[in-house]
Amino acid sequence: MTRDTILEVRNLTTTFTRAGRVLPAVRDVSFSLGRGEVLGLVGESGSGKSVTLRSILGLSRHYGTVTGEVLWKGRDIAPMSERQLRTVRGREIAMIFQEPMSSLNPLLTVGLQLTEVLKAHTDLGRTERRKRAVEMLDHVGIPSAAARLDDYPHQFSGGMRQRVMIAIALAARPELLLADEPTTALDVTIQAQILDLILGLAREYDMGVLLVTHDLGVVAQTCDRVAVMYAGRIVEEAPVAPLLSDPRHPYTMGLMRSVPEGVAPRTSLYSVPGTPPALDALPMGCAFAPRCPSASAQCSAADPALSRLAPGRLAACHHPVSLAKGDAA
Amino acid sequence: MTAPVLEIRDLHLAFPLGRSLADLIARRPGRAVRALNGIDLDLRRGETLGIVGESGCGKSTLARAIVRLYRPTSGTVRFDGDDVFATGNRRDRTYNRRVQMMFQDPYSSLNPRMTCGQILTEALSVHQMRPPAEIPARVAELLDLVRLPQDAAGKLPHEFSGGQRQRIAIARALAVEPEVLIADELVSALDVSVQAQVVNLLLELQERLDLTILFVAHDLRLVRHVSNRVAVIYLGRIVEIGDSESLFAAPLHPYSQALLSAAPSLDPTDRGRGARLQGELPSPLNIPPGCPFHLRCPRATDICRKTRPDLRSVAARGEVACHHAEEIALNG
Repeated sequence: MTRDTILEVRNLTTTFTRAGRVLPAVRDVSFSLGRGEVLGLVGESGSGKSVTLRSILGLSRHYGTVTGEVLWKGRDIAPMSERQLRTVRGREIAMIFQEPMSSLNPLLTVGLQLTEVLKAHTDLGRTERRKRAVEMLDHVGIPSAAARLDDYPHQFSGGMRQRVMIAIALAARPELLLADEPTTALDVTIQAQILDLILGLAREYDMGVLLVTHDLGVVAQTCDRVAVMYAGRIVEEAPVAPLLSDPRHPYTMGLMRSVPEGVAPRTSLYSVPGTPPALDALPMGCAFAPRCPSASAQCSAADPALSRLAPGRLAACHHPVSLAKGDAA
Repeated sequence: MTAPVLEIRDLHLAFPLGRSLADLIARRPGRAVRALNGIDLDLRRGETLGIVGESGCGKSTLARAIVRLYRPTSGTVRFDGDDVFATGNRRDRTYNRRVQMMFQDPYSSLNPRMTCGQILTEALSVHQMRPPAEIPARVAELLDLVRLPQDAAGKLPHEFSGGQRQRIAIARALAVEPEVLIADELVSALDVSVQAQVVNLLLELQERLDLTILFVAHDLRLVRHVSNRVAVIYLGRIVEIGDSESLFAAPLHPYSQALLSAAPSLDPTDRGRGARLQGELPSPLNIPPGCPFHLRCPRATDICRKTRPDLRSVAARGEVACHHAEEIALNG
């Protein structure tokens, strides 16, 4: 099944300069996303997954240098001015963040923040906007929605605030949702509710979702396809089931193995030796080589390109793992 | 069975709120956040007891009350038989030494202006663990113990990664040779691969130094991995406690069942499985009558709305506070 591609990111590179040090946060990242598809962007802190997300909507260019193309329905939005971007941001591509408290304005009622979006992006009149706002709150599962329009963000719990954020993001019926760790601050019970909600809405509106997360469980339960990032690059990309059951990049494999599941209790857990490299001191060649169990001389000489191993399966590794399916992972 | 190291009995802890205008008019006392509502818990020597629950359930409050950062409203905590809150207790400072706490946030729990060496030295000298001349050698030993390089002693906290900082926190706790470690979300702020390193270290040190650990965390997979026994807390009460493996394999309280099934499985074919828990944790300002869980419980009946179930042994599988536990044990 192929879906029409709505977003194509090509050779995206985002570099920050701090105190004279050049920090390549995102290095030559390319991927595409189909209509209605849920793509996970996974990695540990500092791997560049959030910066990638922000660079797509032109939020990183204020702090750093962004190069590469962001083709939104065939049109490159990377070089667009802020003014031009406004026709895309919020209307066609919406974004939700990890911390719902700091991304809502504490001084404005939830209703105002919702109708503001509708005012900017739709032709609805005043009463219709209010009606749609109630509908949206109702839709994301906020009880007695009409009565809560005039409440302020602090009057909502963490899970409810994240619902409000989602309602605001989806109010203008965007075609793509960029979600940056939307459930990381929430309890598992609320996380499950919010993920169900995002997936349900994605299906209903045929909306694409680019989900940034560090939680492989969340990936398994929500994504169609996954891209794994390490030190600013995509090191592996694959449909979710084969990626989790049969990872090909040694880093993905290491991540999978460090999750305490299927390991005898109170025994030693696998852990990837060492720590991720500092961005201003990336090793020569493959950035993962110093921590990699299968690294060779070739790995420290040349950075492997992200290349196709099988249909739909990409990995950037000179020595991809070939693990037979059904083996104990 | 050996006597428990820590015995907690009927522990209540409420944080009073100021009296509001409405309270003054109604001539009633101010309201209170009832964080702990009768916790009974034994910590057995040498075990790791996991504490799980949603945020706001009281798990961190319990940890902090045990190390006397909070004073309970009522109830007792006994350590080796002595009431730790009794005033004028001669063994006061000893208790602080023997029960050590480690915190979640590796950024705020270490003094940013003290080097790692000074942090460890302070712990050693406050509790007079070594004569001053022997302290540097002991600092070196401690760094070795948590596998930090020797030059770490001269560095400030900001020079370390999150995982290394938690190693310093562990070294600081171990400096005073405690018997019990209280780990409040010790590895929650760390990435999975680093988490694994710190957890491995903790388990290894427990074995070597014969430590008892209270492991508070919201990551259920991790709790299952490290714990011998697990207690599930809901609104300041233990709703289920039992052997870790059997509790995770077949939880008996509907809340434990819902909590465990909400943890996202690594198997994509599990999607949509498991009943979703409806609603959110009620406010501890206003705890529902009867069973505190009945508002969200799929099995709630009349008795649940009226009578609060006590924690009791069920089918030799642990203790459960649910009117329907026997039925659940029998029929799943």
